[in-house]
Amino acid sequence: MRQMLFLLVVVGFSNCVPAQTASVTNGKAVFDKWCAPCHGAVAPKNVMFGNGALAGTSALAVKYKGRLPAVLEQRTDLTSAQIKTVVRGGLYGMPITRKTEVSDAELEDVVAYLTRNRKK
Amino acid sequence: MVLPPNVSEADFNAALGEFRSAVGASWVFSSDEDVALYRDSYSINWGEPEERVASAAVAPARVEEVQQIVRTANRYRIPLYPISTGRNLTYGGSAPTMRGSVVVDLKRMNRILEVDEKRAFALVEPGVSYFDLYHYIRERDLKLMLDVPDPGWGSPMGNSLDHGAGYTLAAFRDHFGAHCGMEVVTPEGDVIRTGMGAVPNAESWQDFRYGAGPNVDGLFAQSNFGIVTKMGFWLMPMPEAFLSGTITAPRFRDLDALVQEVSYLEDLGLTGMPQYGSPAGQSAFGPGAGAMASLMQNGWPSAEAVENFVTAQKRPAWSVQLYFYGPEETVRATWQAARRRVGKAIAGAAFQDGEFLTLPIPKEKEPTQPDKPRLGIPSLEVFNMVARNPQNANDPSDGHADLFITIPRKASALWESSRVLFEAQREAGMPGRQSPFATPFTYYSRCFWTGTTVPTWRDPVKNARSRALFQIVMDRCAEHGWVSYRTNPAFQDLLIGKYSFNNNSLLRFQEKLKDSIDPNGIMSPGRYGIWPASMRKNRA
Repeated sequence: MRQMLFLLVVVGFSNCVPAQTASVTNGKAVFDKWCAPCHGAVAPKNVMFGNGALAGTSALAVKYKGRLPAVLEQRTDLTSAQIKTVVRGGLYGMPITRKTEVSDAELEDVVAYLTRNRKK
Repeated sequence: MVLPPNVSEADFNAALGEFRSAVGASWVFSSDEDVALYRDSYSINWGEPEERVASAAVAPARVEEVQQIVRTANRYRIPLYPISTGRNLTYGGSAPTMRGSVVVDLKRMNRILEVDEKRAFALVEPGVSYFDLYHYIRERDLKLMLDVPDPGWGSPMGNSLDHGAGYTLAAFRDHFGAHCGMEVVTPEGDVIRTGMGAVPNAESWQDFRYGAGPNVDGLFAQSNFGIVTKMGFWLMPMPEAFLSGTITAPRFRDLDALVQEVSYLEDLGLTGMPQYGSPAGQSAFGPGAGAMASLMQNGWPSAEAVENFVTAQKRPAWSVQLYFYGPEETVRATWQAARRRVGKAIAGAAFQDGEFLTLPIPKEKEPTQPDKPRLGIPSLEVFNMVARNPQNANDPSDGHADLFITIPRKASALWESSRVLFEAQREAGMPGRQSPFATPFTYYSRCFWTGTTVPTWRDPVKNARSRALFQIVMDRCAEHGWVSYRTNPAFQDLLIGKYSFNNNSLLRFQEKLKDSIDPNGIMSPGRYGIWPASMRKNRA
């Protein structure tokens, strides 16, 4: 029983570790470099097909039709698993991102940044 | 787990051990989860046995580590496949040409070794992206302009080695043509430097490309004769000004004269990449859709029917946007000269002034600046065309494979190739999407490219349809001497088979080089149809 309690404590604590050690500040820097060129908020007004948005932002605007913010940085519902699945697996035209591009630690930082306003 | 062909698991594991010793354990990727990150996101064989997946990946940070990797590969006969940034999407991405190869991921070799403002060149490693180089130049306020491809997340080295191109003046937008000097690790682990780089203590490696004797740089592009680890590029001095202007020509038959006049400006180096368009053809996406459907319903229309369509649309048949770089006085004067010449050559031609900018544009205006690649600013905005968008809201593809053919720079070739593309699309059971108003790409100034893009999916049934269309189009175009300059690994054998003059003598010559330079056949087997002797039977 004591062992199980110890395990629960460790597991519970370890689940908190990424949120405590990951850097929101660095996450924004990584996001700005790797994600913002498609998922940013500011774009030229005459981009073909995009209605003034970048490709990722535009695609999400078409997909969600206002149900959710198209700009990822404005989302409050994203989860760590969602973010990691898309970054490492790609989605539609968005390709896979390798670890030599965004390391696992940097990905944790991006998760921290994009989930900083997540509703509990 | 995928193993390289004809390599035992014991040898493979021994090689991985040596790779770990060379680069550090954390930079050798061999778990299924990590190796999956090297799949081609746009594969036209996704999830099928033919998908070209890696067996492992190794990521060196220094040229000495690359040499060690190559020597190990020779010891155990491990096929290698180098990538620079791995963003060569539609042309294989980060996946190898041959299934089971070990990807040599050069992304960690990301040093900008030198940028010389006065002599206008850069010397970079493979993992440097256009974004990296652009920010380096801007942060130091260097008066240099890049020529960037679209999208701009690839590397100058990787893009040029696959003959990629950009948008500014012809001398710069041919990215391989604008390189000067390279360093290469040979398949046997030696290091060579080309041009003046072969002269100890020479300070002109990035100033003079040829040196003396045979110039071998071309052997390392679209090939498998070595791993390029450094490369120099000539850059454009930052022009004082940028000006664009649009010309329209009223009649369909005006294209020939328009091409002649635009080519005159191009060949004198007076305009950046001309952007052809067709206002009349574009009208088919609006109120003209019914008229266009009628025009094309009985097959390829006559020239007379096309001219009548243009008249009915009440819009110009053709447009071309020109882009001028230089001092304000010269860009304005060149635009005036273009107007004068085209006005004399084409009755009814019209002209519209475009954007005038003094360069460089202020940093704060960059995010909202349209036409970024025309101004040497890397961006990913081109993905709007393939991502989910209002015109394609429900079924966006997972990628695409591009088939662009090289045709002569003249209106008659464009007409004829568009007809063949239209008929090939119909032969493949698809709607004939190519119309007489298809406009050429002019990335390379001395020729036209035209062609088609097929969607790729993570669905084998849909991919089979795309592959069938791709092959039919490639075959039909080749019958007329129109072939691609670059293609997805799935079609490289097929493409190289079209370059068949004198019983494939060019390929046979390349194979002799391959056998000599890479006797163990460890370097990118199969890339652009060049297989080592032991695998030549694999050739399609």
